[in-house]
Amino acid sequence: MSALVLDSLSVGDVIQHARGKTAGENDVSSLSLLTLNSAEAHFNRDRMAQSSFGDRIAFGAINVAMIVGLAAGDTAEHAIEELGLNAVRLHHPVVEGDTLYAVSEVLEITADRPDSGVVRFRHWGYNQSRVPICSLERTVRLRRRP
Amino acid sequence: MTQPEAAFEHVLSRAVYHAKGRAFEDFTPGQTLVHHWSRTFTEDDTIRFSTETLHYNPIYFSRRAASAAGHARMVVNPYLILATAIGLSVEDLSEAGGPFVGIDEVQFLRPVLVGETISASSSTLSARASESKPAFGVVTWRTEAQDDDGAPVLAFVRSNLVLKREPQRRHFEKVLGHERFLGDPE
Repeated sequence: MSALVLDSLSVGDVIQHARGKTAGENDVSSLSLLTLNSAEAHFNRDRMAQSSFGDRIAFGAINVAMIVGLAAGDTAEHAIEELGLNAVRLHHPVVEGDTLYAVSEVLEITADRPDSGVVRFRHWGYNQSRVPICSLERTVRLRRRP
Repeated sequence: MTQPEAAFEHVLSRAVYHAKGRAFEDFTPGQTLVHHWSRTFTEDDTIRFSTETLHYNPIYFSRRAASAAGHARMVVNPYLILATAIGLSVEDLSEAGGPFVGIDEVQFLRPVLVGETISASSSTLSARASESKPAFGVVTWRTEAQDDDGAPVLAFVRSNLVLKREPQRRHFEKVLGHERFLGDPE
């Protein structure tokens, strides 16, 4: 099925996104390093094995990017512009081997232009044990059906 | 013990731990911290980040799609800009440990195109002791990412738990087995 445009959405819709993703070393360690995050919780396995986490944990902003990415298949392909986020909360750490899924609620739609409108979503990310790992509100300008 | 091992053990026994990051006591409302690195974004960065996170909006990984959408060059995935703005701030703000509390009021102020260089700075909005976790304080910063002209491209408010100085030192001692730190009296 194709990605959603503005006209396909109604306030109150809840979308279960089709794809899940298993976090690998690239997600936990490499993407954190790519963004210059210098906190070794994300890339020092030796020290993190001794911590209460027991393993390296993914960078919170990467968790957000992975969940928005899983939701993007339905809610971002026709985005003209990402406008903002709010209430970004990390509920549970992500370690290598966790599998992530996303579900989204449509909170608000403002159809303010002939070609597009602004949608506010609440995205939830959760892991293989159905434990929520993060939630956030995201505001994005989405195209209308041509 | 062989010769190199003995020499190495002697060096280790004299090593002083040079801790990175700040403690809760180092944050005062009103202070501004300029994160001294910056980062240039390439096509490879946005293509890699967008594909690894399954972010299938092609303006972030296709010249043709970016051009068709009216952009002069490929657009850098805004979630890479956000993560990098936080990444640039970590050494100054949150490296020394303490869970992330949350981010609010993220504003993507304009699309950033490949080839642009972004820097970041933060101002401390509040620093208060945590009632539930006495080893920590909660610090809130407003961080801004700026382009070459110093104009903001992204802004957000972030809060973290930050370890107080003494618990941080005990943490380092426990994790590292070190008892001496740079800046200690001889």
